Amino acid sequence: MSEEDKVTRMIILGPAAQVSQSQVVGELHMLELPLTIKSTCYGAVVHGKEEDVLTAIREIRKLDPANIFTKDRGFPPGDPRRCRAKRGGAREGFHQLEKEFELLGFVGEALEWPEPVEIKKHGKISPEDFKKIAEECEK
Amino acid sequence: MVKIAQISCGTDYSGVQKEIEKAAATFGAEIIIPEADLDYINEAYQKFGFNAASSSIRLMIARAMSLVEGKSDADAVFIATCFRCAEGALVRNEIRRFIQQNTNLPVVTYSFTERTKADELFIRMEALSTIVVRKSILAREKQEGLTLGIDSGSTTTKVALMENDRVIGTGWVPTTDVIACSQDAMDQAFADTGYKIDDVDGVGVTGYGRLTIGKHMNAQLIQEELSVNAKGAVYLAGHQKGEATVLDIGGMDNKVITVNDGIPDNFTMGGICAGASGRFLEITSRRLGVDISELGPLALKGNFKDALLNSYCIVFGIQDLVTSLAAGNSKENVAAAACYSVAEQVYEQQLQEIDVREPLIQVGGTSLIDGLVEAVSTVLGGIDVIVPEYSSHIGAVGSALLVSGLGDQMK
Amino acid sequence: MKIAIFPPNSLILADLVERKGHEPLVLQKEIRKKVTDPEIDSPPFNITEEEPIKGLKYAAIEVPSGIRGRMAIFGPLIEAAEAAIIMEDAPFGFGCIGCARTNELCMYFLRKQGIPVLELHYPETREETMEVVNQINAFLDGLEAKDDPKGGD
Repeated sequence: MSEEDKVTRMIILGPAAQVSQSQVVGELHMLELPLTIKSTCYGAVVHGKEEDVLTAIREIRKLDPANIFTKDRGFPPGDPRRCRAKRGGAREGFHQLEKEFELLGFVGEALEWPEPVEIKKHGKISPEDFKKIAEECEK
Repeated sequence: MVKIAQISCGTDYSGVQKEIEKAAATFGAEIIIPEADLDYINEAYQKFGFNAASSSIRLMIARAMSLVEGKSDADAVFIATCFRCAEGALVRNEIRRFIQQNTNLPVVTYSFTERTKADELFIRMEALSTIVVRKSILAREKQEGLTLGIDSGSTTTKVALMENDRVIGTGWVPTTDVIACSQDAMDQAFADTGYKIDDVDGVGVTGYGRLTIGKHMNAQLIQEELSVNAKGAVYLAGHQKGEATVLDIGGMDNKVITVNDGIPDNFTMGGICAGASGRFLEITSRRLGVDISELGPLALKGNFKDALLNSYCIVFGIQDLVTSLAAGNSKENVAAAACYSVAEQVYEQQLQEIDVREPLIQVGGTSLIDGLVEAVSTVLGGIDVIVPEYSSHIGAVGSALLVSGLGDQMK
Repeated sequence: MKIAIFPPNSLILADLVERKGHEPLVLQKEIRKKVTDPEIDSPPFNITEEEPIKGLKYAAIEVPSGIRGRMAIFGPLIEAAEAAIIMEDAPFGFGCIGCARTNELCMYFLRKQGIPVLELHYPETREETMEVVNQINAFLDGLEAKDDPKGGD
């Protein structure tokens, strides 16, 4: 299996998460999937065959569905091209993660207690209107 | 290893990052990225006061601030943004100024395209690296002993023989074969001095052919022309302290170097356009049927406004000159217009890229064309332009001066 | 459905899209293709002068190379999109999305694809964040309904 077919996912624990980073890493190991698992400051990073990574993500989310988030990562773990240790300066993506992390508590809350909303229009057609028009055209 | 801090936007996405690192590595330097965390980025760019729309440009500002505030350590700075990006160009120049005003780090700026290759960056990285590693040599203000400097340029080869802080012989030949031409120019320089090559204490070489001739002569100093010319210019102009700008309108490319206490701190090199080079004036004098040495005095007698050129291009510009002559315009006006055209283009293409500091020291073969010197001053709003003695041998004099410093160290 | 998100590397947007069973068209997948290509060695992203040239499909030669290089990566994502969620005024984003002009162009292209687009502003407060999450979920649910006009079977 070449590196080209492998994917990397970051698993990020929201501030309200009921599980700890070590629990997540432990749980990932218990799945016994052929994955590279690393513990990180934001949670964990998993690297392996896409199918296995997605299975791991599905399973790990079950621990705390509203407070475990995941994001794809382009570079494999520890890649020297983007590794902070090697050249100083954080990866550009890290700053973004830092910023989005600030909202994860609220996102988790919204996921736990969803509320029905009207989709706000920003001068663009909504899917509902789009659907109506499509249905009218069918007549 | 020399640590060059890279402050840039767009290098990764233009495919030039590898070229930058290759150029740095070639001269024993490594690229590092100054540290800046998220809070610091916001704090830094607000403190700096430039509200850039692009976040990567804000990151550039933060990285510059990180250097200035001593949060990151580097020996030199390379600032680069995409060619044609207005926001990038503005910030590139402002942070360059900011770093220069607040640190002693040598800075080089550059705007790149996807076609930028390591070779174009070599001279910049070499100069940056030199300024760091050879700062003590560049600080040399007096030539001692008997030294020889060779400037193997693309168009001409110049040689200067110096003894005890004086130029005692010079040579000047058009470049064909690098080694043979250098030999001819050396023969000219040694003539009537009573010295021969075995008598010299040191040989320094610069210019396009520096590696070839340097190896052949077993030179003690092989140096890119930016730091050598900067040094040679302030030395000959008697302006070794303080700020200055060195302008060399060459046969093939033009160099503008800003200098602080004899150390170059920024420069632009350019010129793939013959219309902005000495070549344009060479062809003009041929068309006017005068020797290039007569073009300057001729131009001083004319008025460029009476023979305006509509094109900067060497082909169409010369056509305009011919048309102007046919319409009854004087040779003087046409010569003045040609000088003005070259000066204007150098201004538009290069001088605008750099923070021009007075005095401007004009050097190189074209500095002998006084019509061009006057035109440069006019274009820059009448600033003070100095043309030192031996201005056309600047690189050779600079090499002879710098190698004398090296000779001392070796003894 | 394949959903384009903007910023194309947003954790929150990608995560929410995936939770609803859709495929977020994330930038990192494009980057991964590049960085794991053993044929090319142009660190860090293996982007060479070819990308800015490919980017000519989206922006003219007079446009800076950094924009065209970025567009060579974003372009395929925009073209594959069946719906899009655009979050404007995101206060973060360096590197790939560090260029304001590229971002404007991407959002413009997404809007003119003729696909359903949800437009949002980056939330600042708890209320705004919850509103945004609910909006996204409602939008994604609406897409499923459109996808399956007969009501499913």
